[in-house]
Order: sequence, then structure tokens, then C-alpha cells
Amino acid sequence: MSSNKKYWKGLEELQQTPAFVKGSKSEFAEPIPVEDVLNEAGLSTKTPRRDFLKALGFGLGAVTLAACERTPVHKAVPYVIKPEEITPGIPNFYASTFNGQSVLVRTREGRPTSISANPNSIGLNQGTDATTAAAVLDLYDMSKLENPKLDGQDVDWKKLDATVIAALEKAAAAGKKITVVSNTVNSPSTLAALAKLGAKYPTTSHVQVDPVSYSGIIEANRVSFGKAVVPTYHLKNANVVVSVAADFLGTWVAGEEHTQDYIKNRDYKSLKNGKMSRHIQFESGLSMTGSNADVRIAIKPSEEGAVLISLYNAITGQSLAGGVSNKKAQTAIALAAKELTNLKGAALVVAGSNDVNVQLLVNAINSNLGAYGDIIDLDNYSKQHQGSDAAFQEFLKSAAAGQVGVAMFLNSNPVYDYFKSEDVKAALAKVDFTLSFSDRSDETASELKAIAPTCSFLEAWGDSSSREGYYSVVQPTINLIFNTRQAEQSLLVWSGDTISIHDFVKQNWEQNILAGTGKAWKDVLQAGFIYKGTEKGGAYTAQVDINSVTTAVVANGKAITGEVELKLYESTGMRDGRYANNAYLQELPDPVSKVTWDNYAAINPKFAEEIGVSENGTVKIEANGYEVELPVLMQPGQALGTISVAVGYGRTKVGKAGNNVGKNAYPFARLANGTVQFESKATVAKAGKTYELAQTQTHHTIEGRNIIRETSFAKYLKDPNSESGRFADSHKTYDLWNKYESPGHKWVMAIDLNACTGCGSCIVACNVENNIPVVGRDEVRRRREMHWLRIDRYYTLESTNGKLTEEKLIAKDADLDYEDVTVVHQPMLCQHCDHAPCETVCPVLATVHSSEGLNHMAYNRCFGTRYCANNCPYKVRRFNWFNYWNDSRFDNYLNNEFTQLVLNPDVTTRSRGVMEKCSMCIQRIQSGKLQAKMENRKLKDGDVKVACQEACSANAIIFGDLNDPESEVSKALRNERVYYVLEEINVQPNIGYMTKVRNTFEA
Amino acid sequence: MRNISSVLGKLAKVVSVGLMLLFAVTMSHAQDAANGAALFKANACQSCHAVGKELTGPDLAGLAERRDEGWIIKWIHNPQGMVDSGDPIAVELKSKYPTMMAAYANLSDDDIRDIIAYVKAEEVKNAEKQTAAAAGGAEGGGGSSDATTLMILGMVIIAVLAVIIIVVLNRVIKSLEKVMESNRAAIEAAQAKNEEYAENRLAKFAKAFLRNKKLVGFAVLGLVALLAVAGWNQMWNVGVHTGYQPVQPIKFSHQVHAGVNQIECQYCHGGAFKSKNASIPSANVCMNCHNTVTASDHYEGEISPEIAKIYKAVDYNPETKEYGKNTRPIEWVRIHNLPDFAYFNHSQHVTVAGIECQTCHGPIETMEEVYQYSPLTMKWCVDCHRDTEVNADNAYYDQLIEAHEKLKKGEKMTAAMIGGLECGKCHY
Repeated sequence: MSSNKKYWKGLEELQQTPAFVKGSKSEFAEPIPVEDVLNEAGLSTKTPRRDFLKALGFGLGAVTLAACERTPVHKAVPYVIKPEEITPGIPNFYASTFNGQSVLVRTREGRPTSISANPNSIGLNQGTDATTAAAVLDLYDMSKLENPKLDGQDVDWKKLDATVIAALEKAAAAGKKITVVSNTVNSPSTLAALAKLGAKYPTTSHVQVDPVSYSGIIEANRVSFGKAVVPTYHLKNANVVVSVAADFLGTWVAGEEHTQDYIKNRDYKSLKNGKMSRHIQFESGLSMTGSNADVRIAIKPSEEGAVLISLYNAITGQSLAGGVSNKKAQTAIALAAKELTNLKGAALVVAGSNDVNVQLLVNAINSNLGAYGDIIDLDNYSKQHQGSDAAFQEFLKSAAAGQVGVAMFLNSNPVYDYFKSEDVKAALAKVDFTLSFSDRSDETASELKAIAPTCSFLEAWGDSSSREGYYSVVQPTINLIFNTRQAEQSLLVWSGDTISIHDFVKQNWEQNILAGTGKAWKDVLQAGFIYKGTEKGGAYTAQVDINSVTTAVVANGKAITGEVELKLYESTGMRDGRYANNAYLQELPDPVSKVTWDNYAAINPKFAEEIGVSENGTVKIEANGYEVELPVLMQPGQALGTISVAVGYGRTKVGKAGNNVGKNAYPFARLANGTVQFESKATVAKAGKTYELAQTQTHHTIEGRNIIRETSFAKYLKDPNSESGRFADSHKTYDLWNKYESPGHKWVMAIDLNACTGCGSCIVACNVENNIPVVGRDEVRRRREMHWLRIDRYYTLESTNGKLTEEKLIAKDADLDYEDVTVVHQPMLCQHCDHAPCETVCPVLATVHSSEGLNHMAYNRCFGTRYCANNCPYKVRRFNWFNYWNDSRFDNYLNNEFTQLVLNPDVTTRSRGVMEKCSMCIQRIQSGKLQAKMENRKLKDGDVKVACQEACSANAIIFGDLNDPESEVSKALRNERVYYVLEEINVQPNIGYMTKVRNTFEA
Repeated sequence: MRNISSVLGKLAKVVSVGLMLLFAVTMSHAQDAANGAALFKANACQSCHAVGKELTGPDLAGLAERRDEGWIIKWIHNPQGMVDSGDPIAVELKSKYPTMMAAYANLSDDDIRDIIAYVKAEEVKNAEKQTAAAAGGAEGGGGSSDATTLMILGMVIIAVLAVIIIVVLNRVIKSLEKVMESNRAAIEAAQAKNEEYAENRLAKFAKAFLRNKKLVGFAVLGLVALLAVAGWNQMWNVGVHTGYQPVQPIKFSHQVHAGVNQIECQYCHGGAFKSKNASIPSANVCMNCHNTVTASDHYEGEISPEIAKIYKAVDYNPETKEYGKNTRPIEWVRIHNLPDFAYFNHSQHVTVAGIECQTCHGPIETMEEVYQYSPLTMKWCVDCHRDTEVNADNAYYDQLIEAHEKLKKGEKMTAAMIGGLECGKCHY
């Protein structure tokens, strides 16, 4: 039998607020005023005969005139000389690299249309994160510069080059510094180009600084191991993970790669073998990682260090001062320490703090647990975060002292993302010549003398080395769109080298990377990457002076202890803010809060009550001398007395879509122990305004029906069927309709709730594949988001008196602090029901069933009665209120000819007034089938991959043919954990879900 | 009345042209030259050779006089071998024409003799053309062959016959006119009376009709019904463009390419066999042949103006045989316009189902200018899917259990039966 645990999407659902109850009754936020027209008054209104005739006459005339337009003449313009590799209508795939991940770029007739993982790569080879899936849109960004700029004026490259070279020579002659400030650069060819500049102008130096810095880890590793690196974490070897405020599945170090590895110990295959890792999370705001944890303890930011000290004490048996006093945390630490020591060699502790001492403490613990080698790899270390806060401080100091002659900014925007932007501006004012390589006139670039716009990675030659020994190429998939030049080429020109960038990259590879591997440049272009590292790293023991470290940790904790504590974090979509102009990412709901198009102050509901703010209220937050007013978000799971605010918002010069979305939170950061830290004490006060966040969490509510099945690992081991609550197990069903036969294929899907982390990359991949429009903040508020696939996030509350089962209990339970919530993520999309309720109500047969088990939607047949949406129990149908792709009211996003080049030519863009929904990527199914027919063979499992499946790093979405008993999906659906959502209404959905299993501590 | 004579004049012309054609046919040479012509084309000799003109290879005019037949056969079978063996003529040719001719070992000795015959025939033709051109101004010069004298004699006879007929007929007409003149008054009176009578009858009928309201009602009803039916039929044709034949930027003739020259569809429209788009060939495909085929024999030695348009598109200079950079795509007018919401894949139909191009595009090989042959309506698609049997040989269909059962029973399995009518197959 299913559990009677209460799942809810938002507080308004839990508390059944009047607004929520009213809203949940109707499918659409703004109902058509049918009642008003059909009531007595409406019916008795007289329509004068003349008015009627006038309207009729006008209508007829207008229609006739409109029909008089001549059929437009369509031109068909073939290539003059067709490139050999292009066949119009057939996509080409090119290996490239994005953010260090080897990817495949799909191009059609020479324009990139989507990005997916390179399945043959090592590391992250399955799925992409949301930013990667969305990156293709950035190529078609209207806000990019079309020409180089000098003093704000468009100039040609010749003039710019002359000016820059003159400035460089002047600085070199005067013995002044030439500094290139960049974010982490791990591209061997970029580094080689920088070296060329250095060879020509000996005063050149390169400073790397990241907005979200990992200096703490780097410095800690330098101290304890003599290796100043961020290690690679092999989570598949970890059976127990304790994370102290590290969002390691989301934004921390390499979230998507961690997800892929982490899930290998938790998905249906692992469970089938009776194996599941345990994950314990201590954090203040509810992060995506925290939402997936088996045990999550809410702590204040100031307690992070204390938790680690307690953990260290518990593991080593020492009794260092400064342990945590929080009762809940103490219990959890005791249990966690036992678990960790039992599983030495397969246990890992990570911390998100950028404080050197905290990381030194973590190193000591991990060293004690024997994590170095199998799990923490210091030899094949990560090269994705090399920024040094100290180096940037140094640069600011020397610039302010007038010692810098030329400053260049490469992928770096400190005026926006450095916590003291005035310091940067003041220092830059003292530099003789400043230049940015930014592709747009951003916050920093607009302050500088010159901009040498670089191009998108899809137009460039290049490479990347995200891990020691791992090298991947970047190759262009389209010609240069604007009059831009990639930064490396500019550097070469200025250092007096005329070599083309392609030759330069190729040469660099042949001389430095490929030498001795027996591979040629062409092989690499095809494979996309080369790996020269080892499987795992060597064992290391940390050298840590534990006493001084703990003292420093305690002191740092004290410094941020306050009535209210503020924690800054990176959001899963926006990251550090560099993708702020990507409309797909702006509209991607946050995995936990489900807020789009804004950042906010996340506050525990109880704490909000204390300070007197309610839903849609705003607060003023003050910390480190910076004050900002932000809308409030009631966040269950947030530690009391803490506020979490996402960085990456509040950009002012990024472009149409991203300007002035949210508020900038970087100035809240502080410098401590030489690193930029994101925790501080703060004061918070209610502000008078109201502001409605565009939050999707209560849209498409399932109205309290029992659709989540959850069990514990212990119960699962006893009975794999536990809590699956399959209706068919206990009931006989009767069919009203005939059974649909699927003699050829039967397309089905299995979704593993235990694997889904809620990251949302599937949503973006679906948007890109299916031309799903972005609607904007106002339209989201009206419940009009168009996403075919959504991830429903359900909370359950746990309180001191056991699990809450009845909503009524909540009102009585005054002690309830909303700190202890558990979360289940459930991807929800068209279930392609065999007895689909939507099909029977469509008056024009616009949605009908296919012989392959799909629920087809013929857009050109639909005329928008919306009965289907009204009748869909899963609420997965979306109505086009506007021609979002072509309506000037949504000017910010996608409705210009240039951006529309991102559209997938195999999928129609839907018009206003029609319904749409998940088609199971029917264009991919059809092309997969056609490919098999052309090759005169049967369709194999894996020939057809739907976009969401392809994007999922956790393998939570499995798609395939049920008629093939050997297909992965057939096997998955035979799993004991499988249940069907709302099975009891017998609509016979074709998507099976697998129960959520939580590896909790059994009391 | 004069038009009768002009009609006769035209008739005479038609007859004479017909006779001329007849003579022209009798004029053609023996079978071997015709075979030679076919071989000449089939082996793409025209890519490098012409009679009376130097191309990549030497001018073939006077070939039989220049070279011994045995030598020619040997050369065609293995030109490189001859150069290597140090044959003086071969070596000289090689130095003069550096592009080495390919070996055509597949041609039998007789084939080559046929080709030589064809070259000879072409020489004769060219000579005739030249003399005809030379004799254009002057009095018809002496016949260069029996054929032309015969032709001229025939024409003269026809002309004489035509003159006689015209004269006789004109006489008959004149006498008839005289008869009519004399009876004019009587005829006019009769006509006037007739008209008056008709008017009276019409008016009476109209009055009677209007008085009978039922009749009026029925008439109106009938009219409305008629209009409705016409309107209904008209509506069904809204957006149907069967017969649409826009003017194209280049007067490209499928009749010449696919019909006369029998070029495979796939040569230019390769996409139809592997992609959803049939793809209009890019100009570089045209240039594969048209860098030598200039059709100048139809344009008095000048390059055909239509082919010149291709040269302009690819910026090709036929004199220097060099390509420039100033290319400009050819903007064809699209004839078959399927709406965006309908997905159609050529390869599924052409490669998988094995449907002939002509099934949908009509007798394309006879079209001077292409027009839309099929209505491209959904009804048309659906009808075909209902009738067409699935090409069950394809291993892909093995998994269709139902298909096997049907086939076992000897029943027909149409596209419609395996889901070919489902919305999502074409609309997504």
C-alpha cells in the first residue's frame, strides 16, 4: 500500500491558502469570462440588428480583402558551390568543447542547432548541464558587438591593432606592467598565445580570477600536499558522502560530472545489486544537492566550521574546542562519523567554503578517511578553477599605484562580479590603456578604452584541458557572424605573429600534446579529445597543523556569527552571471525554489513570520556596507536566522534579456584570510513593497493526489516492491475503450526518481530541440510557461513528532520550524496514455493515438478549445496564448530573424491559439526509423534518443521500444520499483516511474 | 473572305515543311553513324571533343583523312600506351594537348568505326551548314548532294500546286459573292422580321415568368444552389496550385536533360535519395558538364545565353576557363510549396518505398518548363498511402508482426495499415 505521507509543492498548497485553492480549480490562470456572458444579464443584452449587420459586413469585407493577397512567390536558392560534407536536410555533427566538456555540436546547413555530450569521451560523457544545453542560443545573441570599439566608437581591426600595439610598446618601453586578467584559462593554445605576448613584451603577466573562487581549496592543497590544485573527485567510488555546504551536484567544482558518478551508486541498476550510497548534507539554504541528500541538517553559515571540527573530533577521537552546539547537527555528526569510519577508503567529506582553514580541516579529515587516491585525485587534478584571489588583489594594488601600463580583460568582468567594484574602477582609471575581449559591451568593457570582441566558441578554433592529462578541441561549426576576431588571434597579431589561429592551434597540439601519442590532428578533430592521464590518483597524506587551523576556523566562524547570517550561492542556471543574457536559462525554474527570471532572499517561513514579512513581500538586507531590497521567498528547509541570495543576477549591461533581472549580490561578499568568502553576518528588515516572483511551483498542481512513492533503502532491501503502491496489484480494472495494438514499436519511457537530481538540463534540452518559446516573467506569472517537460518538486515535512501525514496537523504544530524538509523531484511530461482523456474530448480530432503508443498532436488541426488541457490529469498540455516567436511584445527574447536561426528545422513553430505538448521527440523517432530503413535493417535499441534523455547525466530518463524485450527501457520497466502515476484512473500512461529510495539512518 | 486564301497559304506551308522533314529523314546516313552518335554521347566524348571545333582535345573534323583507321582504334583503346611506346603522332598529340585522354577499352573495333562514321556525317552536316550560310544571299547555289536537289524540286512543285489551288478557289468565292449581292434586300427583310418576332416572344415569356412566383422562387433557389456548388468546388481548390508554372531565372529544360540526354534524376537531385530535401543542384553540379557543353551549335557559335547565366552565377570565364570570386546564387522559383506544418521526406519515398519520381512530379522528362503536376493536397497523400503497398523486402519491417500475418494470408499491406495515416507521421 502506498504511504499516506503528505507531499506538497509550496507553502500555499500546504496551508491551502484561499488564493491557491481558487487558482487550482481552473486549468488557466485567467479564465475566459464565459459565465459573465451566459448569465441572465449577458443573455438579455440586446445586440441591435444594425450592429450585427455592421459587424457581419465588416467581417466579410475584411476576410475578402485579406484573401485578395497574392500567393507569395517562394524562392529556392541552392548553394553556388555546395560543400561536399553538406546534404541539405541532414545534420552534421562536430566535436567541440564547452566549459571543459567534450561535446557534439549538431549543425544543419551550416548552422549549429544543438549541443550534446560526446558519448565516447571520458569524464562527463553522458548528458550535459543546463548551461551547456542552452549555450547554442548564445551564438545567436543580438546583444553582441558587431565591430571592434575604440573609445566607444566602431573602428576597423587595423586601427585597433595599431592603437593596441602602440600602447603595448609604450608600456614595455616605460617598464610598466602589461597584465592580462582572465577567468580560469585551461586552454593550452590560449596559454601559448599569452606566452607569445609575454615573449614580445617581457613585462606581461597573466592574472586569473574567478567570480566564484576556489582559492581556498587551492591554497589548502598547496599547504597540505604541496600541490596548488583543485582535485578531481571520483564520486562513484564513494559510498558515503558528507557535504558541508558544497552544492557538489550543482555548481561546486564540476557538478554535472559529480552527478553522473554519484548516481552510479544510487540508480536502479545499483539498487538492483543491493547497493546504495549514503549522502549527508549540512547547509543553510536548501540547495539542489541538499534536496537529494538522504539526511539533511540545516545549519547556519557560521556553523560550517564547527560541524567540521565536531566531525574531525568524532572520527579521530580528539576533542578539539569549537565543535557545534546545535543538537540536531550533533546527532547527525555522531551517526555520520560512525558511517565514515566504517567505510574508510570509500568515504568522502567535502565543504563548499572558500576559507583556507576550513579546507585544511577537510583535507585532514579526508586524509584520515583514506579518500586520497580512489576518490580524491590530486594527480589528474581539475583545471577548471584556477583563479587566485590573492593575485587579483595584487593586480588591483599595483594598478592603483600606477604601475600598470596596459590591462586586458579576457572573459573577465570584475566591475560586475568583484565585491568592491569601485576599487576596480578606481584602479583602472590609473591604467594607461585598458582593453576587453568581451563579446559585448558589458559592465567592465564599457568602462575601458577599447573592446576587441572575441567570437563564440562555436565560431572559433581552440582547445581546453579541464583535467590534467585531458585535452579536448574546439572547432568552428559556422563562419564568423560578425566582424569579430577570437582573442587568441588578437594576441598573436599583437605579438607580431601572422600565423592563422587554426595553424597555431594545430601546431601547438602537434608539438606539445600529440607528440608521442601516435595520434594525428585529424584523429583528434574526429574524436574530440585525448586523455593521457591515469584512472585514479596516488594516495596522499595531508600535513595539517590541526590546532592552529581549528583556532582560525573558530575565529572565522565568530566573525560571521550574528542574529542574521547571509549566504551567497550560485544558482544552477545563472551560475556566476556570465549566462545572464540566455533567455532559456533565465526561464529555467530553479531546481528547488522554482523561481524564474529573478533572484530573491530565501527565508525560512517561521523566520519570515518573526520579522513580519509574508509571501510577495520584500526585505532590505544589509551586510558589509552594501544594502539591497529583494523579494522574499519562503523557503522550507532554510535554516532559521539565515538568508540565502543567489549571485549572477542584477547585471546591467549584458543584453536585452538579462539586463536588470534581479539584484547584484556580489557586493555582499567579503575578503577574509586572503580569499573572497560568500558568508557574512547581516541585518534584515521588512520593506514595504510587494513583488510577485514568477514562480512555477504551484502551476499545474496535481491537487494533493498521491503520485509520489517513496521508500527507505532498508525497506527496499527487505522488499523491492515496498511502497510502490501499484494499483493493479490490489485492484481489478475495467476498460471503457478498446485496447490499442502496437504491432511495430511501442515507445515508452522509464523515469528513475532516485536518479533525478532536478537539475533541469532536460528542460533546456527539450526547449532547444522542440523550438519551445521563452515567454518572459509576466507570462510565467500568468502560468503561461510553455515548457513541455517540467520537474515537479515536492516537499515533505518531518517534525519532532514523526512524519506529518495530515495537513491539519500543521496548524496545530506550533513548534514546526520548516527546517527539516525532504524533497522529491519528479519530471512530469506527457504520459502518452493509451486511454488518453485528452483524445476523447477533442472536438476536431487534433490529438489522437498512434499505433506506436504515442499521443499525437496535430497543431494545424487544433483550433484551441483547450478541452484537452482541461481534461489532462497530469496537466502537461500547454496553450499558445501568443505567437511568442513573432510578437513584438516579447521583444527581449527570440523574435528576431537572427536569433531564430537557432530553431530546429525539423520541428514546426506553433502558432497562437493551439495546444502543444511533449511529442516524445517524434522527429527523432521518425529519423531513427528512416535511418534503419535506409540501411535495410531492424531498429536497434539506442538508435532513437530523445532530447531529455540525451541531456540527462544521471540516466534518470530511459526511453525506448517496449516491443523489444531486450531494450534498456523494457528491462527498466520490469523493475519492482516501477509504478505509474495516477494508475488508478486507468488512463494507461506509457511512462513508468521508479520509487524514490532514501538511504536514511534507521532509528 | 480573303482569310480563306490565307488559310490555304498556311496549309501550303505546312505541307511543304512536312515534305522537307520527310526529305531530311531520308537524308540521314546508314545505321552505323546513328550508333556512332549514341556511342559518342554515351562515352561523354563531347566533354573533350567536337567536330569542327577544338576543345580540351583536338578537333575531330577530317579525322578519317588525317589518321589511319587502325591507328585510331589503337589510340582509343590505349592512348597512354601509345605515348609510352613512342608513337610519333601520339607523342606529338600529347605535347599539344597535355590533358591525357582516358582509355576506352570497352569499345569494340566496330564501335569505333561507327564513331568514325558519325564524325564523317557530322563533317558533312557542318559543310552543308556552311554552304547554306554562304548561299543565303546569292541565288540557291548548286545542290551539294542529291538530297538537296530533290528537296528543292519538291518545294517548287508544291508552290506551283498551291498557286493553282488558290487561283481556282478565289474564282469560286468571287462568284458566290456576286450571288449574295443580288439577293441582299430579300435577306435583310427576312432578318428584321425574325428579330421582331423573337423580341415579342422574349418579353411575353419574361412577363409570364415573373408572374409565377413559385417559378421565380425555384429559379432563385436553383441559382443559389448552383453558386453554392461552384463556390464549394472553388473552395476546395484554394491553395491548390496544380499546374503552377512560374517563370524561372534560367530556362532550364528537363526535356533536354532528363528526356533527350537521359541524365539520371539522381545526378542533380541526389538529396531525394538520402535526405528529406530533393535539393536543387548547386551551380557547381551544372558546371560538371557545362564547362564544355555550351550549346553553341544552336547559337551560331556563341555560348547559349542560358548557360551563360550559370557562368555568371559561378563567375566563370569561358575564354580563360577560370573561376572568379564574385559568385552569385541562382534564385529559382520554388514550384512545389508544401506548408511548413507538413513534413515530407523524399528519401522515405524514393529510397525506401522505391517510388518513381514521375509518380508525383509527372512526366518530368517531357517538360520544357516544370509545372506542379500533383495537387499536393492531404487527400492526395492519403489516397496514395491507402493504395500503396509497403515495400516489405526491407528488413526494417520484419518486426511488424502484423505485417507478417497479413503477408502470410496473401493480403495487401498498405502504408495506411502500418500507421501511414496517423497525424504525427507528417505533422510535428
